[in-house]
Amino acid sequence: MRMKLKLKTVFVFYFMVSLLGLVYALMQLGQRCDCTEHDKMKDNTIYRLRGELHKLQEEVKKCDPTKPPKKPHLPTIYVITPTYARLVQKAELTRLSQTFLHVPQLHWVVVEDSDKPTALVRDFLSASGVAYTQLHTLTPKERKLQDGDPSWLKPRGAEQRNEGLRWLRETASATKGQQGAAMETSVVYFADDDNTYSLMLFEEMRSTQRVSVWPVGLVGGMRFERPVVDKGKVVRFHTGWRPNRPFPLDMAGFAVSLRLVLTNPDARFDGDAQMGFLESSFLQGLVTMEELEPKADMCTKVLVWHTRTEKPKMKREDALQKQGLGSDPKVEV
Amino acid sequence: MPKRRDILAIVLIVLPWTLLITVWHQNAIAPLLAIRKDDGAGGRRMAGTAGDSKEYCSPDKDIVEVVRTEYVYTRPPPWSDVLPTIHVITPTYSRPVQKAELTRLANTFLHVANLHWILVEDSQRRTPLVARLLRETGLNYTHLNVETPRNYKLRGDARDPRIPRGTMQRNLALRWLRETFSPNSSQPGIVYFADDDNTYSLELFEEMRSTRKVSVWPVAFVGGLRYESPKVNAAGKVYGWKTVFDPHRPFAIDMAGFAINLRLILFKPQAYFKLRGVKGGYQESSLLRELVTLNDLEPKAANCTKILVWHTRTEKPVLVNESKKGFTDPNVEI
Repeated sequence: MRMKLKLKTVFVFYFMVSLLGLVYALMQLGQRCDCTEHDKMKDNTIYRLRGELHKLQEEVKKCDPTKPPKKPHLPTIYVITPTYARLVQKAELTRLSQTFLHVPQLHWVVVEDSDKPTALVRDFLSASGVAYTQLHTLTPKERKLQDGDPSWLKPRGAEQRNEGLRWLRETASATKGQQGAAMETSVVYFADDDNTYSLMLFEEMRSTQRVSVWPVGLVGGMRFERPVVDKGKVVRFHTGWRPNRPFPLDMAGFAVSLRLVLTNPDARFDGDAQMGFLESSFLQGLVTMEELEPKADMCTKVLVWHTRTEKPKMKREDALQKQGLGSDPKVEV
Repeated sequence: MPKRRDILAIVLIVLPWTLLITVWHQNAIAPLLAIRKDDGAGGRRMAGTAGDSKEYCSPDKDIVEVVRTEYVYTRPPPWSDVLPTIHVITPTYSRPVQKAELTRLANTFLHVANLHWILVEDSQRRTPLVARLLRETGLNYTHLNVETPRNYKLRGDARDPRIPRGTMQRNLALRWLRETFSPNSSQPGIVYFADDDNTYSLELFEEMRSTRKVSVWPVAFVGGLRYESPKVNAAGKVYGWKTVFDPHRPFAIDMAGFAINLRLILFKPQAYFKLRGVKGGYQESSLLRELVTLNDLEPKAANCTKILVWHTRTEKPVLVNESKKGFTDPNVEI
């Protein structure tokens, strides 16, 4: 009898203890624990690493012989990049910014094909570390490429580049005195967001007086297109397609001095231009072939490539979206 | 008999308590570590990238230190004795866009401190194009090469791959690492497989620097989705894979979605990517399953909620105007 009673109470006792334990555990869920020991160790490591990093950065600031000294008259390069929202936009802008961060005195003018600035681009630019201006202008519907149109059907980015030029002209006229004079020596370059640029290219274009030109790789159906130079002057253009255009160049193959842009207030890109004539529509009024300045070792080196990025396949994503199971749209891609 | 029942009762009383005490003792330590790591990863943002603020934010202690440093262009960042080296293994092969891809990749890597680029060419011998490019970047690099045998190369139809592209090259790099570093040396290192056409954010490299065994994160534009990512539970452990294509693979992750601690590579010298008989999508698993279990994976990128790497692919340029003889000067390198 005594035995049976003992077991029964033991089990009841266990049951009560387990119940209390469970309640305690449930209450502990999500509460902070007391981790001061681990805190201290990690704190020390982090503090030490941060100190190292800061020390290295100080050291670098003091003695970097390869960095060109920030002379007040190092001409600024204004890079105008038209961009539009699509899946690979953030990736393209990311790797572009990683190149631009290496170029001193560069000002990135990003012009979105949109009726208002997007949060993606705004947040990206502010975190990128590049000096930038964010603009936007919407391409009118009839000039826009429709789904399924080949990429060469309509010239793209004309309105956006013109908006960049407009901003430059406005800013230049508002900048007076020494800064205004310095601004006149600046160079304007139109950089699409999917091309690839080497760092040397920007140093080549910095000395542009009117319009400078150089070869572009992987464009025009060829390994590269380039101006042909004889005795230091451009005599013709080596291109596989319609060499009789006034300027058979790619957008990435020339840079214009800001002074030239300012003294020709009507120079702009013609959005209705025929295929391949967009660059000519801008350059025609600005300069003649003889006045072009050849760069990149008399146009014998390829320092920029007209790469294009594939459109990522979204078959499975589309299928999931139809079922309402698409990926979290809050995760920015 | 009363005596036996007594004993039975005592055993029944004591046994659960001993079990409870041993299990509780074990569990008390592990969850503490896991929870603390999560707090650390979430609250901290690694600096060293384009000159913003560095913050260290401990939710308990209310220390917020914001240091704004102006970005200083340097090629590349000075070597630190403290930071673990990131060994980036990139297989590459000759094609028109190769120099462009490697150029923009180099522009990215020039921002990352303590980066060692192991570039492995799929070629009979090291090409002057790549050698020159590597030299001119100023990066810390190792230039290797191994040619995938012709009949094993990926042919036109991707439906019949013999050896997945880049396998032999990645394996050569792993072998080089094992021949160069000894398991007993204390040089910390992280191994990352970076293909030459992807896009990497600078934050990614700082995330992977703290890898203890194998760390994982989401990758955009793979598997026909906006992104694929590991599934992470509330305790910060990976328990599955958010993919549509064969989510039951041992490691349903892209090559760009994980990094391995060098020590693990050195301690398991038999672990390589399987060369033949690997089903599509199982390449990564063929290596990872020899190194680590699902439970050991460390989720990064805010518990796998941020995209820090994109699986971009570059279009093949249509060189229609070159014709058979070649229209452009072959001496001009592109």
